[in-house]
Amino acid sequence: MSETSIALALEAAEARLRSILQTVPDAMIIIDERGRIESLSTTAERLFGYEADEACGRNVSLLMPSPYREQHDAYIGRYLETGERRIIGIGRIVVGRRKDGTTFPMHLTVGELRTGDRHHFTGFIRDLTDQQLTEDRLKELQSEVTHMSRFTALGEMASTLAHEINQPLTAISNYLKGSRRLLERMEGEHVEMLRDAVSKAADQALRAGQIIRRLREFVARGESERRIESLPKLIEDASTLALVGAREHGIAVTFRLDPAADLVLADRIQIQQVLVNLMRNAIEVMSEGGSVRRLDIATAAGPEDQVEVTVADTGAGLAPEVARQLFQPFVTTKRKGMGLGLSICRTIVEAHGGKIWVDSPPGGGTIFHFTLRAAADDRETDDA
Amino acid sequence: MSKAPEVILLVDDDAAVRNALKFSLEMEGFSVRLYPTPEALLAESDLPAGGCLVIDYRMPEIDGLELVERLRHRGVALPVLLISGRVTRSLRERASGLGIRDVLEKPLSDLAGSIRRVLDDGP
Ligand SMILES: Nc1ncnc2c1ncn2[C@@H]1O[C@H](COP(=O)(O)OP(=O)(O)OP(=O)(O)O)[C@@H](O)[C@H]1O
Ligand SMILES: [Mg+2]
Repeated sequence: MSETSIALALEAAEARLRSILQTVPDAMIIIDERGRIESLSTTAERLFGYEADEACGRNVSLLMPSPYREQHDAYIGRYLETGERRIIGIGRIVVGRRKDGTTFPMHLTVGELRTGDRHHFTGFIRDLTDQQLTEDRLKELQSEVTHMSRFTALGEMASTLAHEINQPLTAISNYLKGSRRLLERMEGEHVEMLRDAVSKAADQALRAGQIIRRLREFVARGESERRIESLPKLIEDASTLALVGAREHGIAVTFRLDPAADLVLADRIQIQQVLVNLMRNAIEVMSEGGSVRRLDIATAAGPEDQVEVTVADTGAGLAPEVARQLFQPFVTTKRKGMGLGLSICRTIVEAHGGKIWVDSPPGGGTIFHFTLRAAADDRETDDA
Repeated sequence: MSKAPEVILLVDDDAAVRNALKFSLEMEGFSVRLYPTPEALLAESDLPAGGCLVIDYRMPEIDGLELVERLRHRGVALPVLLISGRVTRSLRERASGLGIRDVLEKPLSDLAGSIRRVLDDGP
């Protein structure tokens, strides 16, 4: 080929790329092997709020919040060195950062382009807070979590019922026990019959107690399975589920994840339920009004192997009539609420050996906190 | 044989449970004082030197474990039995951490027997 025909072919290829970038419905970003942004599709510009001119030439970590931002160069470096794939060709849910500093869950698939000995990477991104998100992924998560949450709700109801019924049963069996003692000291024609009847009634009260116990055991059967899980991943998955429709209500979501709060000992689906319940409550209260609508999800590594997760909103705050018994079942101010969300959260968090509590900051809104046990991090040492 | 009956201090927020336990324990020869809330017990100025505390775990505001913690803080050393509608392993662990003698699940068919064991063991 002559030099001019090479130049022409190049120009044509570039024009083709430009037109692809302008028209692909997905957000697409191409970076070089040092992580510098080479081009951005129009959808990506809109998604992140950067013009292509501003973003090109800068490191792609620009589009990520901490702690990913700081780690990204090392990821690429490791891949180029070892060929070990963590995301390339696999795709996963990660957190993106817009120009205005807000963050959002997104699905990222990365492809690789090799020209000669140079590498380029292409990222396809779908905004998971958008309505038209990856249906499959959502359905998969949803079926796991909602199936489990139905089971948990049932369990919570059964155990509340058991608790409530145990109270009158305690009264019945103790009145009968006292009566039996009293009858032992009495004499008369019918006393013998009375003793017999009271004793049989006491047996029946105990039988009722056993039925309650069996019901509870049935529900507790789905023993939780605790494993070492990545807390950021749990949060990302839970947000995918909980944040459907959040954008429409004008709610800005931020994630502030402490890199030191990484691995936790948790039943994945149960902790996702806790997160989803807390986030849905926050979204529900903020959809009702208020000009500032911010949902902030943060993690912090605490003392003694504890990790603290907070879910904060800028909603109307707690209604005084529920504030005192917030974590009790069937306490709700919502017309269609069951009042089970928070009592399920408490049951799950306490079963994990953690604590859950709420704060009403003076500036308004509500902050829920819960703790989990951190797991020793073996992976870190592998990587080093 | 006729020494003064041992005093049982009972805290439970459910009136029916309170009254029924008082009835059955009195029939067993104990003397029983009732408190509808943890605060009522904390406000008691005349705690006996002997006897036993029976405290419900699940109560609004202050739960049974917290009540025991506060009592210990004040130097009240009476033996404690915790009663609850639901006894889990983690509740047992937390209770024994506070030196609670036993945790009993309702409906409590033999509270008097457990109390006697605690009193026989001494403080
Ligand atoms: N973030 C919040 N801001 C203000 N109030 C809240 C918040 N979260 C919970 N609440 C209050 O606590 C109540 C109980 O919440 P919970 O999640 O247990 O039940 P629910 O949301 O009413 O119903 P369900 O979760 O079963 O659908 C709510 O009805 C609401 O009044
Ligand atoms: Mg709820």
